[in-house]
Amino acid sequence: MNELQRDHYDVIIIGAGLAGCAVARALRQADPDGRRSIAVIDKCKGVHPRFSGEFIHPRGAQILEDLGFYEPLRVAGAVDVDGFLAFEHADAQPVELEYGDVPNQRARGLSVHHKTLVRTMRGELRKTGEVDLYEGWSLQELVRNDAGHVSGVQLQGPDKQRHTLHCDLLVAADGKGSSVRKLAGIGDKGRTTIGFTAGVAVTDASLVRSTYAHVMLGAWGPVLAYPIQNEADGSVTTRITIDLPKELPAKGAALKEHLLEAYIPFLPAPLSTEVAAAIRKHPGNLEMAPTVNLPAPAAAQPGLVLVGDAGGCSHPITASGMTMGLRDAETLAAEARRRSTAPAGEPWFDSGALRRYRSAHDRYVPTRQALADAIYEAFRGEREGSRAIRRALFEYWGSGPSARSRSMALLSCSEGRPSVFLAEYLKTARHALSSSLVPQHARRYPVADRVRRARGAAALAKDKLGLVAEVMWAQVRPTWMPDVAR
Amino acid sequence: MLDSPAPPASTDDAPPTIVGAPVEQSLAAAQRIAGRWRTRAVASVSATDSDARWLAAVPDVGPTCEVLLADQLFHDLTRAEKDALLQWVRENQDEGGAWLSLDGTPDLSLTVLGWWARRCGGDDPAEESMIRAQRVVHSLGGAQRANFEVRLWLALCGAVPWDFLPAIPGELFLLPESLWLSPSRIAPWARGILTAYYVIARGDGHVRLPDPAPLMLRRDPDAKAMVSPRLTRPGLAGDLLQAFDRTVKLSRKLPRGPLPRWAVERACTALEHTRQRHGGWFSTRPTLLALVALRVRGVPSDDPRIVAGLARLRASRGRAVVPAGIGRGRTGVAQGLGGTRLATAARLVLASPDDAAITTLLRMELSTPGPWQDRANALAGGWPHEPRAEHHLDLESTCAMLGLLDTVPEGTALRAPAWAARRRATDILLAMQEGPGSFARFERGEADVFMRRLPWSDADLLGMGQRDDANRVRLAGHALTQLGRTGFRIDDDRVARGVAWLEQVAGDAFETRSIATLAALGHAAVATCPSGHALRENAEQRLRAQQREDGSFGGLVETAQALDALLALAGPCVQSRRAARHLADAVDRLGDDLEHAGGPPCQGFGLSPHVGDPSASAREVALALRSFVRHTTAAPAKGRRSRVQA
Repeated sequence: MNELQRDHYDVIIIGAGLAGCAVARALRQADPDGRRSIAVIDKCKGVHPRFSGEFIHPRGAQILEDLGFYEPLRVAGAVDVDGFLAFEHADAQPVELEYGDVPNQRARGLSVHHKTLVRTMRGELRKTGEVDLYEGWSLQELVRNDAGHVSGVQLQGPDKQRHTLHCDLLVAADGKGSSVRKLAGIGDKGRTTIGFTAGVAVTDASLVRSTYAHVMLGAWGPVLAYPIQNEADGSVTTRITIDLPKELPAKGAALKEHLLEAYIPFLPAPLSTEVAAAIRKHPGNLEMAPTVNLPAPAAAQPGLVLVGDAGGCSHPITASGMTMGLRDAETLAAEARRRSTAPAGEPWFDSGALRRYRSAHDRYVPTRQALADAIYEAFRGEREGSRAIRRALFEYWGSGPSARSRSMALLSCSEGRPSVFLAEYLKTARHALSSSLVPQHARRYPVADRVRRARGAAALAKDKLGLVAEVMWAQVRPTWMPDVAR
Repeated sequence: MLDSPAPPASTDDAPPTIVGAPVEQSLAAAQRIAGRWRTRAVASVSATDSDARWLAAVPDVGPTCEVLLADQLFHDLTRAEKDALLQWVRENQDEGGAWLSLDGTPDLSLTVLGWWARRCGGDDPAEESMIRAQRVVHSLGGAQRANFEVRLWLALCGAVPWDFLPAIPGELFLLPESLWLSPSRIAPWARGILTAYYVIARGDGHVRLPDPAPLMLRRDPDAKAMVSPRLTRPGLAGDLLQAFDRTVKLSRKLPRGPLPRWAVERACTALEHTRQRHGGWFSTRPTLLALVALRVRGVPSDDPRIVAGLARLRASRGRAVVPAGIGRGRTGVAQGLGGTRLATAARLVLASPDDAAITTLLRMELSTPGPWQDRANALAGGWPHEPRAEHHLDLESTCAMLGLLDTVPEGTALRAPAWAARRRATDILLAMQEGPGSFARFERGEADVFMRRLPWSDADLLGMGQRDDANRVRLAGHALTQLGRTGFRIDDDRVARGVAWLEQVAGDAFETRSIATLAALGHAAVATCPSGHALRENAEQRLRAQQREDGSFGGLVETAQALDALLALAGPCVQSRRAARHLADAVDRLGDDLEHAGGPPCQGFGLSPHVGDPSASAREVALALRSFVRHTTAAPAKGRRSRVQA
């Protein structure tokens, strides 16, 4: 839209990516009578040029289906995915973590090229006209009322003129570098740039299982490979993401050489050859995105909520970012539904609804972040302790299908019970200690090495106790009790 | 020497530059000569070479002499082979009568062996050169004071009692392999020697050899009693150990039940298990002694094990240029320590690339478990020291091969196997790291052998080098360089431990480190540490300070290594240009003489701790000049001209 349709909306959503579009559709569904007005605003007319999340767990896929996005995405080329294959190293038998093993959840997730995803979701919103979608409008300022609460936004339109829009609730869905969060004065406390992810697309890659995300370890950082697009000609495009350190070892063309030397050898053949060819053929520099750890800030304040990556993000190793964005949409819609009969003149979301949203958000986001951090640290394996955890994870996963299904339930965001989280932590710690004492290949491994490994595992397990306690507390904290840490 | 980077040689604003035809011509010449060595090495590796093979690693005359001595038992050498080996021994004798070690000093053991080998060949002991050799031996304390191996030969022929050798309690072979005193905890070379020695000594082996009595030093000319060698070091601990040694020898006279028999059987089993696919054992000397042990055990000389072992010894012989002595510069046939060193072959292929050669070397990757995995937690992979030596991983060869794998052309069928090999080798590099951060070459714990702490005079032979000697520093440098190239940085605790160890070991002694060590440190620092890191700056600073007025850093090999390291550390600079100029001039000046220009000795094993490296100059110069041309072509400096300012 090139012109503003009105000057006040019940809800304004900044960011028309996955989370923004999902929130818009979810809120619209929560207001079947169409009493509320919703606007979605994005600074890009098309899709954002940087590659971003593309993998959605079954929990998220179910939300997409509930919101009516699933079928259009499938038609646009999205791929149903069945789980993960984790390779401890390229020559090892992979561990299969299957969604279907997790009880009481949908058996398949969804993987889709990010640009296709955004294009399709926006197209759906545009087609139904259920919300006002403003593309090419950038946020300039937040408008606050007398009480200092956010009550609208100042935008710069395609005509380069400033316009003011008022709202009862502003939803920040503008990603990890959220402008709304900055303008609202919500600090980036604890934000750290972990590194970068380089992405490359391979056509008809030789994946061991064509509908699984492959996690391959051994190089400096993990390499992920997952199908993202069923093409019209019958081929399948696979996304390869390569985890790089914060201090890039090389840039430009030299980075390609570095990837070929330092990462490709750790991929199983013939995928290694295909990825190498794709890297060589890729015109110009590779697509890169920073990987950021942003501890979840307070997800709601009067007149403002944060959803998706704007409300906290972590390393994409668990591929849970998009699912979390969809859960935010679902949670917010539940509050909207609860308030759907609120009399006219009252805001859709009162303080109680926002508090409840924040409370729910504060339960599942820290768990996801803790898991992502722990898994990434283990998969990187830069310390003795983290390598012990990695060995323990693979040993644990190899111990039986129930272990795999419990882990998968946590990783795919379908399990949030604190007791399960604690039990999994304790089991992994136990396995880490025991596997540190027993070498995998050495016949007479020196005691000093065993002790060093066990000490590393114990030290890491001890370090993580605080994190586990934090997650546990987030799970059991009563709704009425504010989380002073955020 | 320069204390700081040298000023430009010309008065122009631009530094003297040398890229252009001369350097490229010199590079081509060096590569052509390195290519000859590569062809020989690869032919030897793939066992397709003719009898006219060349040795890529030339030891002292010890192995040649011992082969001649052992032939009195095996009668395997043809007349021509015997003559050729004898000629090698004769030509290596110094004017003064001694045989020299590779560092140029008269060596008692080599002189005893040289004299004795000549006697086996029928040389007259009254000959002037033989008398001179005899005098040298006497002046150095007599044959009975020679090293363990010589005394073993003396005992084998009955010239000295077995008491002149240290006693090995047979119970050691019955100990669990995880115990410190178990022979499995000593370095592979020593294990090969000791196991065979135990079998020979228990079997009272005897070989008929020419009488070495003229070499023995007696208390007086008429006395029969010889001056017995002290088996332990001076001091109280040594005295106690000497007493223990006597006790062990005395206890052998007591009834001990089946223990000795079990111990010998265990030792024989160990000998059987350590025989390699190529037919020999760890290297020439263990192979020789193992064959003698088999014969002592009654194995007939036409047994396949004996035949294969002798064939292995034959395959380890080759042509070489006499490094010192009356025949210096002449070509002869010598006994090598083993097959062609894969580390050397890999560097030669790197200097003069060839796809077929890479394929051949790739095939040499270890694919079966070996004793090195006792204490290293990794799957089979990496490369051995020599072809078809599947029992022994060699980290030096593995690092050299990893360097070569980078050059495998993209899009070829070799690429995927090369990646897989790199992956396995990287795991092995990490698994071979020792607790303090250093790296083991053959087996973890090889430098930290418990029995070496006992004050035996031969104790040093039980381990492989020292914990922090130059070879180990260089090995750590090479391993860290390869890890760095595979993406590992100092943020990984294993790399951090390795760098910290290098800093600690190299710290105080930075000035005294050789160019090769400084270069290895420089490469490792560049690959793993951020710019500004102390190790990186120290290595660069010390390296720069070693340059001489003529642009060299010593010999050709040292200059080439320094140039390569400087380019990695700082890219093309005035000093690296001067070094490259020096190398280019040397190549032009030497012409085909570069082929045998050699270089400093490289690491050997046990009683031949150093071996000559005849291809070193051509190989390292080619590598350094190529690196220089690549650097200068990739980033031409402003104002750089295309030819050398002579």
